[in-house]
Amino acid sequence: MDTNPNEGEIETPSLHVVSEPEKTFMALTFDMDGERFAISVKNVQEVIDPLDMTLVPNADPFAPGLINVRGAVVPVLNLQHRLGVKESERTADTRFVVIEAIIDEDQTNFAIIADSVHEVFEVDEDEIHPAPALGMKWPPDYIIGIAQRNEQMIIFLDTESIFKPISYVQ
Amino acid sequence: MSNPADTFRQEATDLLENLEENLLELESAPDNRQKIDVVFRALHTIKGSGEMFGFSELAKFVHHLENAYELVRSGESKVTQDLIDISLASQDHISALLDAGQEETVVAELVESDTHKSLLTRIGALSSVSAEADTGGGDAGGTATPEGGLKEYKILFKPEPSALRNGMRPDLVSTELEMLGEVTSRVIADHVPPLEEMDASACYLTWELILRSEVSRDRVDEIFLFFDDGDIQIEETSLEAPEAAPEAAPEPAEAAEAAGGKPKPKEKRADAAAKVESVRVQAHRLDELMDQLGELVIAQARLNRIAERVGDQALGSATEEIERLVTGMRDATLSIRMLPIAGVFGKFRRVVRDLSTELGKNVHLTTEGGETELDKNIIDRLSEPLVHIIRNAVDHGIEDSVTRKEAGKAPDATVNMIARQSGGEVHIEVRDDGGGLKTEAIRKRALERGLIEPGLEYSDEAIHQLIFAPGFSTAETISSVSGRGVGMDAVRNFIEDLRGAVEVKSETGKGTSVTLRLPLTLAIIDGLLVKIGTGEFVLPLASVEECVELADDETQHDRQRSIINIRDELVPYLNLREIFDFNREGAKLNRVVIVNAEGRRIGFMVDDVIGQHQTVIKSLSSYHRNVEGLAGCTILGDGSVALIIDPSALIKSFSSSIREAA
Repeated sequence: MDTNPNEGEIETPSLHVVSEPEKTFMALTFDMDGERFAISVKNVQEVIDPLDMTLVPNADPFAPGLINVRGAVVPVLNLQHRLGVKESERTADTRFVVIEAIIDEDQTNFAIIADSVHEVFEVDEDEIHPAPALGMKWPPDYIIGIAQRNEQMIIFLDTESIFKPISYVQ
Repeated sequence: MSNPADTFRQEATDLLENLEENLLELESAPDNRQKIDVVFRALHTIKGSGEMFGFSELAKFVHHLENAYELVRSGESKVTQDLIDISLASQDHISALLDAGQEETVVAELVESDTHKSLLTRIGALSSVSAEADTGGGDAGGTATPEGGLKEYKILFKPEPSALRNGMRPDLVSTELEMLGEVTSRVIADHVPPLEEMDASACYLTWELILRSEVSRDRVDEIFLFFDDGDIQIEETSLEAPEAAPEAAPEPAEAAEAAGGKPKPKEKRADAAAKVESVRVQAHRLDELMDQLGELVIAQARLNRIAERVGDQALGSATEEIERLVTGMRDATLSIRMLPIAGVFGKFRRVVRDLSTELGKNVHLTTEGGETELDKNIIDRLSEPLVHIIRNAVDHGIEDSVTRKEAGKAPDATVNMIARQSGGEVHIEVRDDGGGLKTEAIRKRALERGLIEPGLEYSDEAIHQLIFAPGFSTAETISSVSGRGVGMDAVRNFIEDLRGAVEVKSETGKGTSVTLRLPLTLAIIDGLLVKIGTGEFVLPLASVEECVELADDETQHDRQRSIINIRDELVPYLNLREIFDFNREGAKLNRVVIVNAEGRRIGFMVDDVIGQHQTVIKSLSSYHRNVEGLAGCTILGDGSVALIIDPSALIKSFSSSIREAA
């Protein structure tokens, strides 16, 4: 179990590129307003219990405040606002997901608020189907696609676009 | 920093900067002997140590220039405009050679370049003209000028064990000494260890070098300038009593001791040591220190809170003691990072000189307040915006000589750079006595670009600020100097990145003044902690003048006016709870912090004033960088995040509400 079956490929990638391109990735699922969303774990730093947030006056509603994560000041992003879903009351299940990404050429840490965090699982890119153009209540710019898992619909968010400071959808 | 070549490079860069400054001063006072000596010494040091650390092409080149100054020093030639021009051009070339370092291909390219050759020809012409005039001097070997009688220097030269590994070349020392006079040497091998303890790459030898020469002690010292690590003892004995320079003779006591052969540790480069009382530290180490200190300050604030809660007297007094120490350490650390701004100013004399030559305008640069200190990190980032401003001033601001004459102005224009401290800020003003901003051209351009509404009245002052709009340029012809439309908005971005601000004032026909307002430091400030709504905020204490209570009835009745009466002075105020759009319920709103921003007194109405707070400034991410009126954020003792208010920016963005009120 511990040995990585791909180890040989990492050492001599050129020989194997054609045969086996990377098609799976690890995803973290979390709930917001009763829907299940997923992002690639590549950028996820940690999942923490909710912290007191300092509100930034006159800030974009997408980035309403700041928290202190072990001495680092981290902005909190309101994905609910960007996706147009309802913000839930905080419960015992509420979690902050701390994410690291390159924003405006700077390595930036930020947090998003999830009603609950579910699991990490491996997903095959082929399982993610493009979101239908019609009948979607989420802005398509922020969605990679939709997958089914254990009869549950999972919406995969586009980490390239959804954390951008400036909104794509007017 | 352990690499001696790097050390040399840094030292040489400093020397070159110094050289430039002195050359420019020499230009205005060509007979200043002291400056001539300084220039000569700088060249000599660069040559000597360059040779020692393998910058041989550089050393060769400098050697020629040094010769030219040797002639000036000995009075055989004079400082001419030509010499200064050549020297400045050479200085640039030396910099290039220095940058090329030991990369042979780059060095070879430079040596083969036309610049190199033409400079050498010009320097050669200068030297030979004078040499012909007086065949007595000007030996290319750098023959020393007699400086008061024949002397014997007994030099005990004991390099560090690691010196050879670091590239020290004893043979070069010997060669240099031989240039000065007759040298005899003897090797002392007393410190060579037994064979089994011997490190083959280490240097255990000591040389005793006897130099008989007429040169001064300084010249001998210069050769050993880069052997700070080793042990060097130089004893000087006069062989014939010189009449002209009695101070060169050693004191009797010293001479007696020297005769006794007893080495005197005090003698060891005492004069050089007095000059260099500084330590070079890599900038990133300072940054690390500052980061650690920031964390310490935050941890200390946490300790304060805990001590308050526990209420134990012994803990309380220990906490206070620690707070005092941390404050002291903060001030000491910040002061390490503070540098006088004169270093930046120095660079611009050259910029102005070159620009005025290029544009055919006669412009002088004067500076004031060079001793004003600023955080090193800010100073490092000031050059670029200041170059923009100065270029604009010389290119656009200052009129050509004909126009100046018609306007009845002095033919020589002046650009004045003034630095001064004002509260927690440093202001740097660049003022020219040119024609002022072309208000109508800016207005026209702004209309074209849709920056202002047609038909509306704008004050000249408001129009002038438009030069900071992105891509704004009115230059009719694009010169190589400016006019590419990336001028003042770039300056503004630079300065705003440093949490500063930039303003322009202009008077038609009289000149333009651009002022940069910069924070003293980017790291830690004294702040005043206040409560507004649910949040705590920090106001920079440097801009706070006083805190006043507002009587309840006054808040009730004067809400529309937003003006308070303090000792018969009417002060407008901003209701921060309103501006920050916090819930108005439960608001007490009875305290006003009076700040001084942009020269006027303005009140900030807050819920409560908590007290003074050492504030470690953390920058905001790109999600919040554009929120108006904030300078950053910090972490409080209880671990919560507080925002730092930038009073000037806040007032600026909400000044309309003040004006309405006033």
